[in-house]
Amino acid sequence: MVISVSNLSKYYTTHKKDAGLLGSIKSFIARKYETIKAVENISFTIGEGELVGFIGPNGAGKTTTLKCLSGLLYPTSGRVSVLGFTPYERNHTFLKQISLVMGQKNQLWWDLPVIESIQLQKEIYSITDEKYKKTLSELTELLEIADLLSVQVKKLSLGQRMKCELLAAIIHTPRVLFLDEPTIGLDVVMQKKLREFIKEYNKHYMATIMLTSHYMKDVEALCKRVIIINHGTLLYDGQLSDLVKKHAPYKIIKVILDKYIDPKKLAPLSEVLYFSYPELVLRVSQKNIGKVATKILDKFPVENITIEDPDIEQVIREVFTKQKR
Amino acid sequence: MRKYFLIIVNMWDEIFTYRLSFAMWRLRNVFQLLTIYFLWASLIPKQSVLFGYSQSLMLTYVIGTSFLSAVILSTRTYEIGDNINSGNLSALLLKPINYFGYWFAKDIGDKLVNISFSLVELFLLFFLLRPPLFLQTDIVPLLFFIITICLGILLYFCIGSLLGMIGFWSPEVWAPRFIFFILIGFFAGILFPLDIFPKPIFNILQLLPFPYLLFFPLKVYLGQLSMPEILKGISISVIWIFSLTYIMVLVWRKGLRMYTAYGN
Repeated sequence: MVISVSNLSKYYTTHKKDAGLLGSIKSFIARKYETIKAVENISFTIGEGELVGFIGPNGAGKTTTLKCLSGLLYPTSGRVSVLGFTPYERNHTFLKQISLVMGQKNQLWWDLPVIESIQLQKEIYSITDEKYKKTLSELTELLEIADLLSVQVKKLSLGQRMKCELLAAIIHTPRVLFLDEPTIGLDVVMQKKLREFIKEYNKHYMATIMLTSHYMKDVEALCKRVIIINHGTLLYDGQLSDLVKKHAPYKIIKVILDKYIDPKKLAPLSEVLYFSYPELVLRVSQKNIGKVATKILDKFPVENITIEDPDIEQVIREVFTKQKR
Repeated sequence: MRKYFLIIVNMWDEIFTYRLSFAMWRLRNVFQLLTIYFLWASLIPKQSVLFGYSQSLMLTYVIGTSFLSAVILSTRTYEIGDNINSGNLSALLLKPINYFGYWFAKDIGDKLVNISFSLVELFLLFFLLRPPLFLQTDIVPLLFFIITICLGILLYFCIGSLLGMIGFWSPEVWAPRFIFFILIGFFAGILFPLDIFPKPIFNILQLLPFPYLLFFPLKVYLGQLSMPEILKGISISVIWIFSLTYIMVLVWRKGLRMYTAYGN
Protein backbone atom coordinates (compact mmCIF):
# COMPACT_ATOMS: atom_id res chain seq x y z
CA MET A 1 0.00 0.00 0.00
CA VAL A 2 1.29 3.41 -0.91
CA ILE A 3 -0.99 5.30 1.43
CA SER A 4 -2.46 3.87 4.55
CA VAL A 5 -4.49 5.81 7.04
CA SER A 6 -5.94 4.26 10.14
CA ASN A 7 -8.18 6.02 12.63
CA LEU A 8 -6.86 9.42 11.67
CA SER A 9 -8.24 12.31 13.70
CA LYS A 10 -7.23 15.93 13.57
CA TYR A 11 -8.68 18.45 15.98
CA TYR A 12 -7.92 22.12 15.96
CA THR A 13 -8.12 24.21 19.07
CA THR A 14 -8.95 27.77 18.33
CA HIS A 15 -9.72 30.46 20.81
CA LYS A 16 -13.09 32.05 20.63
CA LYS A 17 -13.17 35.79 20.38
CA ASP A 18 -16.14 38.10 20.65
CA ALA A 19 -16.32 40.87 18.11
CA GLY A 20 -14.83 44.29 18.78
CA LEU A 21 -12.18 45.74 21.04
CA LEU A 22 -13.89 44.64 24.22
CA GLY A 23 -13.99 41.13 22.86
CA SER A 24 -10.27 41.29 22.17
CA ILE A 25 -9.52 42.38 25.70
CA LYS A 26 -11.79 39.74 27.14
CA SER A 27 -10.19 37.02 25.07
CA PHE A 28 -6.77 38.28 26.13
CA ILE A 29 -7.58 37.98 29.82
CA ALA A 30 -9.71 34.88 29.87
CA ARG A 31 -9.35 32.84 26.76
CA LYS A 32 -12.06 30.40 25.85
CA TYR A 33 -10.88 27.50 23.79
CA GLU A 34 -12.94 25.57 21.37
CA THR A 35 -12.14 22.27 19.73
CA ILE A 36 -12.98 21.83 16.10
CA LYS A 37 -13.00 18.28 14.88
CA ALA A 38 -11.79 18.69 11.33
CA VAL A 39 -11.24 15.00 10.75
CA GLU A 40 -12.49 12.20 12.92
CA ASN A 41 -11.54 8.57 12.83
CA ILE A 42 -10.91 8.13 9.15
CA SER A 43 -9.34 4.98 7.73
CA PHE A 44 -8.50 4.01 4.16
CA THR A 45 -5.73 2.63 2.04
CA ILE A 46 -4.65 3.48 -1.47
CA GLY A 47 -2.54 1.29 -3.70
CA GLU A 48 0.17 2.17 -6.19
CA GLY A 49 -1.01 3.94 -9.33
CA GLU A 50 -4.54 4.56 -8.11
CA LEU A 51 -6.28 7.80 -8.90
CA VAL A 52 -8.74 8.50 -6.13
CA GLY A 53 -11.28 11.28 -5.90
CA PHE A 54 -11.71 12.82 -2.51
CA ILE A 55 -15.08 14.49 -2.23
CA GLY A 56 -16.91 16.50 0.35
CA PRO A 57 -18.46 19.93 0.78
CA ASN A 58 -16.49 22.92 2.04
CA GLY A 59 -15.12 22.31 5.50
CA ALA A 60 -15.58 18.56 5.27
CA GLY A 61 -11.96 17.93 6.17
CA LYS A 62 -10.51 17.16 2.74
CA THR A 63 -7.69 19.65 2.83
CA THR A 64 -6.90 18.77 6.43
CA THR A 65 -6.55 15.12 5.47
CA LEU A 66 -4.32 15.95 2.53
CA LYS A 67 -2.19 18.12 4.79
CA CYS A 68 -1.83 15.27 7.27
CA LEU A 69 -0.86 12.96 4.42
CA SER A 70 1.74 15.32 3.01
CA GLY A 71 3.25 16.13 6.38
CA LEU A 72 2.04 19.67 6.97
CA LEU A 73 -0.03 18.77 10.00
CA TYR A 74 0.49 16.57 13.02
CA PRO A 75 -2.41 14.18 13.40
CA THR A 76 -4.17 14.44 16.76
CA SER A 77 -4.42 10.68 16.81
CA GLY A 78 -4.26 7.74 14.48
CA ARG A 79 -1.61 6.43 12.16
CA VAL A 80 -0.67 7.75 8.75
CA SER A 81 1.84 6.13 6.49
CA VAL A 82 2.78 7.26 3.00
CA LEU A 83 5.38 5.31 1.04
CA GLY A 84 6.35 3.75 4.35
CA PHE A 85 7.17 7.11 5.91
CA THR A 86 5.48 9.00 8.69
CA PRO A 87 4.63 12.20 6.83
CA TYR A 88 4.94 14.78 9.60
CA GLU A 89 8.56 13.87 10.18
CA ARG A 90 9.11 15.42 6.75
CA ASN A 91 12.04 13.21 5.97
CA HIS A 92 13.81 14.57 2.89
CA THR A 93 13.70 11.20 1.12
CA PHE A 94 9.94 11.26 1.65
CA LEU A 95 9.52 14.86 0.50
CA LYS A 96 11.41 14.11 -2.70
CA GLN A 97 8.75 11.57 -3.68
CA ILE A 98 5.58 13.49 -2.98
CA SER A 99 3.95 16.75 -3.89
CA LEU A 100 0.96 18.70 -2.69
CA VAL A 101 -0.63 21.13 -5.10
CA MET A 102 -3.05 23.61 -3.61
CA GLY A 103 -5.01 25.54 -6.18
CA GLN A 104 -4.95 28.71 -4.14
CA LYS A 105 -1.33 28.68 -3.03
CA ASN A 106 1.66 29.64 -5.05
CA GLN A 107 5.29 28.77 -4.81
CA LEU A 108 6.64 30.32 -7.99
CA TRP A 109 8.74 33.46 -7.58
CA TRP A 110 6.23 36.13 -8.46
CA ASP A 111 8.58 38.59 -10.14
CA LEU A 112 10.75 36.16 -12.04
CA PRO A 113 10.28 34.17 -15.23
CA VAL A 114 8.77 30.75 -14.60
CA ILE A 115 11.90 28.87 -15.62
CA GLU A 116 13.93 30.40 -12.76
CA SER A 117 11.64 28.80 -10.19
CA ILE A 118 11.70 25.52 -12.07
CA GLN A 119 15.49 25.51 -12.12
CA LEU A 120 15.54 26.17 -8.40
CA GLN A 121 13.22 23.19 -7.96
CA LYS A 122 15.69 21.11 -9.94
CA GLU A 123 18.44 21.99 -7.49
CA ILE A 124 16.29 21.63 -4.38
CA TYR A 125 15.15 18.18 -5.44
CA SER A 126 18.62 17.34 -6.78
CA ILE A 127 17.33 16.17 -10.14
CA THR A 128 20.05 15.08 -12.55
CA ASP A 129 20.54 17.18 -15.69
CA GLU A 130 19.52 14.34 -17.92
CA LYS A 131 16.32 13.54 -16.09
CA TYR A 132 15.48 17.23 -15.73
CA LYS A 133 15.75 17.84 -19.46
CA LYS A 134 13.60 14.85 -20.25
CA THR A 135 10.87 15.58 -17.69
CA LEU A 136 10.83 19.26 -18.49
CA SER A 137 10.25 18.69 -22.19
CA GLU A 138 7.67 15.99 -21.51
CA LEU A 139 5.72 18.04 -19.01
CA THR A 140 5.86 21.32 -20.90
CA GLU A 141 4.55 19.50 -23.94
CA LEU A 142 1.76 17.83 -22.01
CA LEU A 143 0.78 21.09 -20.35
CA GLU A 144 1.36 23.14 -23.52
CA ILE A 145 3.36 25.80 -21.76
CA ALA A 146 6.70 25.74 -23.58
CA ASP A 147 6.32 29.37 -24.60
CA LEU A 148 5.36 30.52 -21.11
CA LEU A 149 8.55 29.47 -19.38
CA SER A 150 10.35 32.73 -20.04
CA VAL A 151 7.42 34.92 -18.98
CA GLN A 152 7.33 36.60 -15.57
CA VAL A 153 4.93 34.78 -13.28
CA LYS A 154 2.97 37.94 -12.48
CA LYS A 155 2.20 38.43 -16.15
CA LEU A 156 0.53 35.04 -16.56
CA SER A 157 -3.21 34.52 -16.56
CA LEU A 158 -4.71 32.43 -13.77
CA GLY A 159 -4.97 29.34 -15.94
CA GLN A 160 -1.47 29.70 -17.28
CA ARG A 161 -0.11 30.23 -13.79
CA MET A 162 -1.94 27.20 -12.50
CA LYS A 163 -0.31 25.06 -15.15
CA CYS A 164 3.10 26.50 -14.33
CA GLU A 165 2.51 25.90 -10.62
CA LEU A 166 1.69 22.33 -11.47
CA LEU A 167 4.87 22.02 -13.49
CA ALA A 168 6.91 23.32 -10.55
CA ALA A 169 5.15 20.93 -8.20
CA ILE A 170 5.79 17.82 -10.26
CA ILE A 171 9.10 18.49 -12.00
CA HIS A 172 10.63 15.97 -9.60
CA THR A 173 8.03 13.43 -10.83
CA PRO A 174 6.59 12.55 -7.44
CA ARG A 175 5.32 9.02 -6.91
CA VAL A 176 2.50 10.36 -4.80
CA LEU A 177 0.62 13.46 -5.80
CA PHE A 178 -1.99 15.26 -3.72
CA LEU A 179 -4.07 17.69 -5.72
CA ASP A 180 -6.28 20.07 -3.80
CA GLU A 181 -8.73 21.82 -6.10
CA PRO A 182 -6.37 21.89 -9.06
CA THR A 183 -9.00 23.24 -11.44
CA ILE A 184 -10.37 25.97 -9.21
CA GLY A 185 -11.06 29.22 -11.03
CA LEU A 186 -10.27 27.80 -14.46
CA ASP A 187 -12.52 27.98 -17.48
CA VAL A 188 -14.14 24.87 -18.92
CA VAL A 189 -11.59 24.36 -21.67
CA MET A 190 -8.67 24.72 -19.31
CA GLN A 191 -10.32 22.41 -16.78
CA LYS A 192 -10.63 19.76 -19.41
CA LYS A 193 -7.02 20.13 -20.46
CA LEU A 194 -5.81 19.92 -16.90
CA ARG A 195 -7.93 16.83 -16.34
CA GLU A 196 -6.41 15.17 -19.37
CA PHE A 197 -3.00 16.06 -18.08
CA ILE A 198 -3.64 14.53 -14.67
CA LYS A 199 -4.86 11.34 -16.30
CA GLU A 200 -1.84 11.22 -18.54
CA TYR A 201 0.54 11.87 -15.66
CA ASN A 202 -1.07 9.09 -13.66
CA LYS A 203 -0.60 6.62 -16.50
CA HIS A 204 2.77 7.74 -17.73
CA TYR A 205 4.53 7.87 -14.36
CA MET A 206 2.44 5.24 -12.57
CA ALA A 207 1.84 7.87 -9.93
CA THR A 208 -0.61 7.52 -7.08
CA ILE A 209 -2.90 10.52 -7.09
CA MET A 210 -5.42 11.82 -4.61
CA LEU A 211 -7.56 14.61 -5.89
CA THR A 212 -10.13 16.87 -4.32
CA SER A 213 -12.43 18.98 -6.39
CA HIS A 214 -15.65 20.85 -6.25
CA TYR A 215 -16.31 20.01 -9.84
CA MET A 216 -17.87 16.58 -10.06
CA LYS A 217 -16.89 16.58 -13.72
CA ASP A 218 -13.27 16.34 -12.62
CA VAL A 219 -13.99 13.36 -10.45
CA GLU A 220 -16.23 11.65 -12.97
CA ALA A 221 -13.67 12.01 -15.70
CA LEU A 222 -10.68 10.93 -13.65
CA CYS A 223 -11.50 8.68 -10.78
CA LYS A 224 -12.92 5.20 -10.66
CA ARG A 225 -12.74 5.20 -6.93
CA VAL A 226 -14.02 7.91 -4.64
CA ILE A 227 -13.78 8.62 -0.95
CA ILE A 228 -16.50 10.82 0.40
CA ILE A 229 -16.25 12.63 3.69
CA ASN A 230 -18.43 15.13 5.46
CA HIS A 231 -18.07 16.76 8.86
CA GLY A 232 -14.77 14.98 9.21
CA THR A 233 -16.16 11.46 8.98
CA LEU A 234 -15.95 8.98 6.15
CA LEU A 235 -19.24 8.35 4.37
CA TYR A 236 -18.25 6.23 1.43
CA ASP A 237 -15.19 4.54 0.02
CA GLY A 238 -15.52 2.55 -3.16
CA GLN A 239 -16.18 2.60 -6.87
CA LEU A 240 -18.00 5.61 -8.20
CA SER A 241 -20.30 3.34 -10.23
CA ASP A 242 -21.25 1.37 -7.11
CA LEU A 243 -22.07 4.58 -5.35
CA VAL A 244 -24.56 5.43 -8.05
CA LYS A 245 -26.07 1.95 -7.90
CA LYS A 246 -26.28 1.97 -4.14
CA HIS A 247 -27.53 5.45 -3.49
CA ALA A 248 -29.39 6.05 -6.68
CA PRO A 249 -30.95 2.82 -7.91
CA TYR A 250 -33.05 4.75 -10.39
CA LYS A 251 -32.93 6.46 -13.75
CA ILE A 252 -34.22 9.79 -14.85
CA ILE A 253 -36.77 9.90 -17.68
CA LYS A 254 -37.06 13.22 -19.44
CA VAL A 255 -40.11 13.73 -21.62
CA ILE A 256 -41.05 16.56 -23.91
CA LEU A 257 -44.83 16.52 -24.34
CA ASP A 258 -46.81 17.41 -27.42
CA LYS A 259 -49.94 18.47 -25.61
CA TYR A 260 -50.70 19.51 -22.09
CA ILE A 261 -51.79 16.72 -19.75
CA ASP A 262 -52.93 16.67 -16.17
CA PRO A 263 -49.94 15.79 -14.01
CA LYS A 264 -52.20 13.81 -11.68
CA LYS A 265 -52.49 11.18 -14.37
CA LEU A 266 -48.76 10.61 -14.11
CA ALA A 267 -48.66 10.14 -10.39
CA PRO A 268 -49.38 6.42 -10.29
CA LEU A 269 -46.65 5.79 -12.87
CA SER A 270 -43.70 7.05 -10.91
CA GLU A 271 -42.32 9.96 -8.93
CA VAL A 272 -42.60 13.29 -10.74
CA LEU A 273 -39.51 15.34 -10.11
CA TYR A 274 -40.39 18.29 -12.25
CA PHE A 275 -43.23 19.31 -14.48
CA SER A 276 -43.65 22.45 -16.45
CA TYR A 277 -45.31 22.00 -19.76
CA PRO A 278 -43.92 20.78 -22.09
CA GLU A 279 -41.07 19.43 -19.97
CA LEU A 280 -41.55 16.52 -17.64
CA VAL A 281 -38.94 14.78 -15.50
CA LEU A 282 -39.60 11.49 -13.77
CA ARG A 283 -37.63 9.35 -11.42
CA VAL A 284 -38.05 5.65 -12.06
CA SER A 285 -36.58 2.76 -10.19
CA GLN A 286 -34.12 0.60 -12.10
CA LYS A 287 -36.45 -2.40 -12.49
CA ASN A 288 -39.52 -0.46 -13.64
CA ILE A 289 -37.76 1.52 -16.28
CA GLY A 290 -38.94 -0.50 -19.27
CA LYS A 291 -42.52 -0.70 -18.11
CA VAL A 292 -42.82 2.99 -17.38
CA ALA A 293 -41.20 4.07 -20.60
CA THR A 294 -43.56 1.93 -22.69
CA LYS A 295 -46.58 3.25 -20.84
CA ILE A 296 -45.57 6.83 -21.40
CA LEU A 297 -45.03 6.26 -25.07
CA ASP A 298 -48.37 4.43 -25.31
CA LYS A 299 -50.62 6.74 -23.40
CA PHE A 300 -49.24 10.24 -23.71
CA PRO A 301 -48.54 12.56 -26.60
CA VAL A 302 -44.75 12.42 -26.52
CA GLU A 303 -42.52 14.44 -28.75
CA ASN A 304 -39.24 13.26 -27.30
CA ILE A 305 -38.11 10.96 -24.52
CA THR A 306 -34.69 10.30 -22.99
CA ILE A 307 -33.50 8.01 -20.22
CA GLU A 308 -30.50 9.18 -18.25
CA ASP A 309 -28.35 8.19 -15.33
CA PRO A 310 -28.93 10.34 -12.30
CA ASP A 311 -26.71 13.37 -12.07
CA ILE A 312 -23.67 12.44 -10.01
CA GLU A 313 -23.78 15.71 -8.14
CA GLN A 314 -27.37 14.95 -7.19
CA VAL A 315 -26.35 11.51 -5.93
CA ILE A 316 -23.64 12.92 -3.75
CA ARG A 317 -25.93 15.58 -2.41
CA GLU A 318 -28.27 12.78 -1.41
CA VAL A 319 -25.49 10.95 0.36
CA PHE A 320 -24.83 14.06 2.40
CA THR A 321 -28.46 14.71 3.26
CA LYS A 322 -28.98 11.10 4.24
CA GLN A 323 -26.16 11.48 6.72
CA LYS A 324 -27.81 14.47 8.33
CA ARG A 325 -31.02 12.55 8.95
CA MET B 1 25.10 24.00 -2.49
CA ARG B 2 24.00 25.07 -5.95
CA LYS B 3 20.44 25.54 -4.71
CA TYR B 4 21.54 28.19 -2.26
CA PHE B 5 23.53 29.87 -4.99
CA LEU B 6 20.42 29.90 -7.21
CA ILE B 7 18.34 31.39 -4.40
CA ILE B 8 20.91 34.18 -4.10
CA VAL B 9 20.77 34.80 -7.85
CA ASN B 10 16.95 34.77 -7.85
CA MET B 11 16.92 37.22 -4.97
CA TRP B 12 19.19 39.52 -6.93
CA ASP B 13 16.89 39.33 -9.98
CA GLU B 14 13.84 39.92 -7.84
CA ILE B 15 15.26 43.08 -6.31
CA PHE B 16 16.08 44.38 -9.76
CA THR B 17 12.49 44.05 -10.89
CA TYR B 18 11.75 46.72 -8.31
CA ARG B 19 14.62 48.96 -9.34
CA LEU B 20 12.90 52.20 -8.50
CA SER B 21 11.90 51.31 -4.97
CA PHE B 22 15.32 49.90 -4.36
CA ALA B 23 16.97 53.04 -5.70
CA MET B 24 14.74 55.09 -3.38
CA TRP B 25 15.74 52.95 -0.44
CA ARG B 26 19.40 53.53 -1.27
CA LEU B 27 18.78 57.24 -1.73
CA ARG B 28 17.30 57.36 1.75
CA ASN B 29 20.47 55.77 3.08
CA VAL B 30 22.64 58.27 1.24
CA PHE B 31 20.71 61.19 2.71
CA GLN B 32 20.96 59.73 6.17
CA LEU B 33 24.67 59.29 5.71
CA LEU B 34 25.12 62.83 4.43
CA THR B 35 23.17 64.29 7.36
CA ILE B 36 25.25 62.51 9.95
CA TYR B 37 28.41 63.12 8.00
CA PHE B 38 28.00 66.88 7.86
CA LEU B 39 26.82 67.00 11.45
CA TRP B 40 29.99 65.40 12.74
CA ALA B 41 32.19 67.23 10.25
CA SER B 42 30.99 70.53 11.71
CA LEU B 43 31.00 69.32 15.34
CA ILE B 44 34.60 68.22 15.20
CA PRO B 45 36.79 70.75 13.45
CA LYS B 46 40.03 69.56 11.89
CA GLN B 47 42.87 68.93 14.35
CA SER B 48 40.54 68.79 17.34
CA VAL B 49 39.27 65.83 19.30
CA LEU B 50 35.78 65.26 20.70
CA PHE B 51 34.77 62.28 22.89
CA GLY B 52 38.14 60.78 22.02
CA TYR B 53 37.50 60.97 18.28
CA SER B 54 39.41 63.07 15.82
CA GLN B 55 37.52 64.29 12.78
CA SER B 56 38.99 61.65 10.52
CA LEU B 57 38.23 58.82 12.96
CA MET B 58 34.66 60.01 13.43
CA LEU B 59 34.01 60.44 9.73
CA THR B 60 35.51 57.04 9.05
CA TYR B 61 33.15 55.67 11.69
CA VAL B 62 30.14 57.36 10.11
CA ILE B 63 30.95 56.22 6.59
CA GLY B 64 31.81 52.79 7.98
CA THR B 65 28.38 52.40 9.57
CA SER B 66 26.77 53.22 6.24
CA PHE B 67 28.75 50.49 4.52
CA LEU B 68 28.28 47.97 7.34
CA SER B 69 24.55 48.64 7.35
CA ALA B 70 24.49 47.31 3.81
CA VAL B 71 26.56 44.30 4.83
CA ILE B 72 24.99 43.44 8.15
CA LEU B 73 21.64 45.20 8.54
CA SER B 74 20.18 44.29 5.15
CA THR B 75 17.90 41.31 5.43
CA ARG B 76 14.95 39.43 4.02
CA THR B 77 13.95 37.74 7.25
CA TYR B 78 10.75 39.78 7.36
CA GLU B 79 9.53 37.47 4.61
CA ILE B 80 9.33 34.71 7.23
CA GLY B 81 6.42 36.53 8.87
CA ASP B 82 4.73 37.23 5.56
CA ASN B 83 5.22 33.62 4.55
CA ILE B 84 3.62 32.34 7.71
CA ASN B 85 0.65 34.66 7.44
CA SER B 86 -0.04 34.03 3.78
CA GLY B 87 0.23 30.26 4.25
CA ASN B 88 2.89 30.07 1.57
CA LEU B 89 5.20 28.62 4.18
CA SER B 90 3.46 25.31 3.46
CA ALA B 91 5.05 25.05 0.04
CA LEU B 92 8.46 25.58 1.59
CA LEU B 93 7.88 23.04 4.32
CA LEU B 94 7.16 20.38 1.72
CA LYS B 95 10.47 20.88 -0.02
CA PRO B 96 13.55 18.89 0.89
CA ILE B 97 15.46 21.97 1.94
CA ASN B 98 16.75 23.49 5.15
CA TYR B 99 14.44 26.39 5.93
CA PHE B 100 17.01 28.49 7.71
CA GLY B 101 19.45 27.84 4.89
CA TYR B 102 16.81 29.01 2.46
CA TRP B 103 16.22 32.28 4.26
CA PHE B 104 19.88 32.83 4.94
CA ALA B 105 20.58 32.47 1.22
CA LYS B 106 17.90 35.09 0.55
CA ASP B 107 19.59 37.31 3.11
CA ILE B 108 22.92 36.94 1.35
CA GLY B 109 21.30 37.81 -1.99
CA ASP B 110 19.80 40.93 -0.49
CA LYS B 111 23.10 41.86 1.12
CA LEU B 112 25.04 41.48 -2.12
CA VAL B 113 22.77 43.91 -3.93
CA ASN B 114 22.96 46.38 -1.07
CA ILE B 115 26.71 46.07 -0.83
CA SER B 116 27.25 46.74 -4.51
CA PHE B 117 25.07 49.82 -4.37
CA SER B 118 26.75 50.98 -1.21
CA LEU B 119 30.18 50.66 -2.83
CA VAL B 120 29.12 52.81 -5.75
CA GLU B 121 27.65 55.42 -3.41
CA LEU B 122 30.75 55.52 -1.27
CA PHE B 123 32.96 55.81 -4.31
CA LEU B 124 30.98 58.84 -5.46
CA LEU B 125 31.15 60.26 -1.96
CA PHE B 126 34.94 59.96 -1.83
CA PHE B 127 35.17 61.55 -5.18
CA LEU B 128 32.96 64.54 -4.28
CA LEU B 129 33.77 65.17 -0.62
CA ARG B 130 37.28 63.79 -0.32
CA PRO B 131 36.82 63.02 3.37
CA PRO B 132 39.84 62.58 5.61
CA LEU B 133 39.52 58.84 6.05
CA PHE B 134 41.43 56.63 8.39
CA LEU B 135 42.80 53.64 6.49
CA GLN B 136 43.66 50.63 8.56
CA THR B 137 46.82 49.03 7.23
CA ASP B 138 47.60 46.63 10.05
CA ILE B 139 46.61 43.12 9.05
CA VAL B 140 45.55 41.94 12.54
CA PRO B 141 42.68 44.41 13.08
CA LEU B 142 41.61 43.86 9.47
CA LEU B 143 41.42 40.14 10.05
CA PHE B 144 39.38 40.60 13.21
CA PHE B 145 37.26 43.15 11.37
CA ILE B 146 36.23 40.47 8.87
CA ILE B 147 35.53 37.97 11.65
CA THR B 148 33.34 40.45 13.54
CA ILE B 149 31.43 41.28 10.36
CA CYS B 150 30.62 37.60 9.86
CA LEU B 151 29.48 37.34 13.46
CA GLY B 152 27.35 40.45 13.00
CA ILE B 153 25.68 38.92 9.95
CA LEU B 154 24.80 35.78 11.88
CA LEU B 155 23.62 37.77 14.88
CA TYR B 156 21.34 39.94 12.80
CA PHE B 157 19.98 36.91 10.98
CA CYS B 158 18.98 35.39 14.35
CA ILE B 159 17.33 38.60 15.53
CA GLY B 160 15.54 39.13 12.22
CA SER B 161 14.30 35.53 12.05
CA LEU B 162 12.98 35.70 15.57
CA LEU B 163 11.10 38.88 14.67
CA GLY B 164 9.73 37.14 11.58
CA MET B 165 8.52 34.20 13.61
CA ILE B 166 6.21 36.51 15.53
CA GLY B 167 4.03 35.71 12.53
CA PHE B 168 3.21 32.35 14.12
CA TRP B 169 1.39 34.14 16.91
CA SER B 170 0.28 37.43 15.44
CA PRO B 171 -0.44 38.76 11.99
CA GLU B 172 1.16 42.06 12.98
CA VAL B 173 4.77 41.38 12.19
CA TRP B 174 5.55 44.83 10.91
CA ALA B 175 4.95 46.90 14.03
CA PRO B 176 7.50 45.09 16.24
CA ARG B 177 9.95 45.00 13.38
CA PHE B 178 9.65 48.71 12.82
CA ILE B 179 10.25 49.52 16.47
CA PHE B 180 13.14 47.10 16.55
CA PHE B 181 14.60 48.56 13.41
CA ILE B 182 14.83 51.95 15.10
CA LEU B 183 16.11 50.51 18.38
CA ILE B 184 18.67 48.36 16.65
CA GLY B 185 19.86 51.30 14.61
CA PHE B 186 20.31 53.33 17.73
CA PHE B 187 21.89 50.70 19.98
CA ALA B 188 24.05 49.33 17.21
CA GLY B 189 25.64 52.76 16.89
CA ILE B 190 24.35 53.90 13.53
CA LEU B 191 24.15 57.55 14.58
CA PHE B 192 27.24 57.86 16.77
CA PRO B 193 29.81 55.62 18.40
CA LEU B 194 28.34 54.07 21.53
CA ASP B 195 31.35 54.90 23.75
CA ILE B 196 30.09 58.47 23.77
CA PHE B 197 27.56 57.27 26.35
CA PRO B 198 28.49 57.57 30.03
CA LYS B 199 30.57 54.61 31.16
CA PRO B 200 27.84 52.79 33.21
CA ILE B 201 25.36 52.90 30.36
CA PHE B 202 28.00 51.89 27.87
CA ASN B 203 28.92 48.91 30.04
CA ILE B 204 25.34 47.70 30.10
CA LEU B 205 25.00 48.21 26.34
CA GLN B 206 28.02 46.05 25.78
CA LEU B 207 26.19 43.10 27.25
CA LEU B 208 23.41 43.43 24.67
CA PRO B 209 23.76 41.93 21.20
CA PHE B 210 23.21 45.20 19.35
CA PRO B 211 26.65 46.85 19.64
CA TYR B 212 28.14 43.82 17.91
CA LEU B 213 26.23 44.59 14.75
CA LEU B 214 27.97 47.84 13.80
CA PHE B 215 29.80 49.55 16.61
CA PHE B 216 32.08 46.71 17.61
CA PRO B 217 33.32 45.76 14.12
CA LEU B 218 34.05 49.39 13.38
CA LYS B 219 35.97 49.88 16.61
CA VAL B 220 38.01 46.86 15.63
CA TYR B 221 38.66 48.38 12.24
CA LEU B 222 39.68 51.70 13.73
CA GLY B 223 42.20 49.83 15.86
CA GLN B 224 40.90 51.34 19.07
CA LEU B 225 40.45 48.10 20.94
CA SER B 226 43.07 46.09 22.76
CA MET B 227 43.36 42.38 22.09
CA PRO B 228 41.57 41.36 25.34
CA GLU B 229 38.75 43.80 24.46
CA ILE B 230 38.44 42.28 20.99
CA LEU B 231 38.34 38.76 22.38
CA LYS B 232 35.82 39.74 25.02
CA GLY B 233 33.57 41.29 22.37
CA ILE B 234 33.86 38.28 20.13
CA SER B 235 33.02 35.98 23.04
CA ILE B 236 29.94 37.98 23.94
CA SER B 237 28.66 37.97 20.36
CA VAL B 238 29.34 34.26 19.99
CA ILE B 239 27.42 33.59 23.20
CA TRP B 240 24.57 35.69 21.84
CA ILE B 241 24.61 33.86 18.52
CA PHE B 242 24.48 30.49 20.23
CA SER B 243 21.71 31.43 22.63
CA LEU B 244 19.65 33.18 19.97
CA THR B 245 20.05 30.23 17.60
CA TYR B 246 18.88 27.96 20.36
CA ILE B 247 15.88 30.17 21.06
CA MET B 248 15.23 30.46 17.34
CA VAL B 249 15.07 26.69 16.90
CA LEU B 250 12.81 26.34 19.94
CA VAL B 251 10.49 29.09 18.76
CA TRP B 252 10.47 27.62 15.26
CA ARG B 253 9.47 24.21 16.57
CA LYS B 254 6.80 25.60 18.82
CA GLY B 255 5.54 27.85 16.07
CA LEU B 256 5.46 25.06 13.52
CA ARG B 257 3.37 22.93 15.81
CA MET B 258 0.86 25.75 15.94
CA TYR B 259 1.08 26.49 12.28
CA THR B 260 -2.05 25.07 10.81
CA ALA B 261 -1.64 26.52 7.36
CA TYR B 262 -4.12 29.37 7.33
CA GLY B 263 -6.32 30.29 4.43
CA ASN B 264 -7.32 27.37 2.31
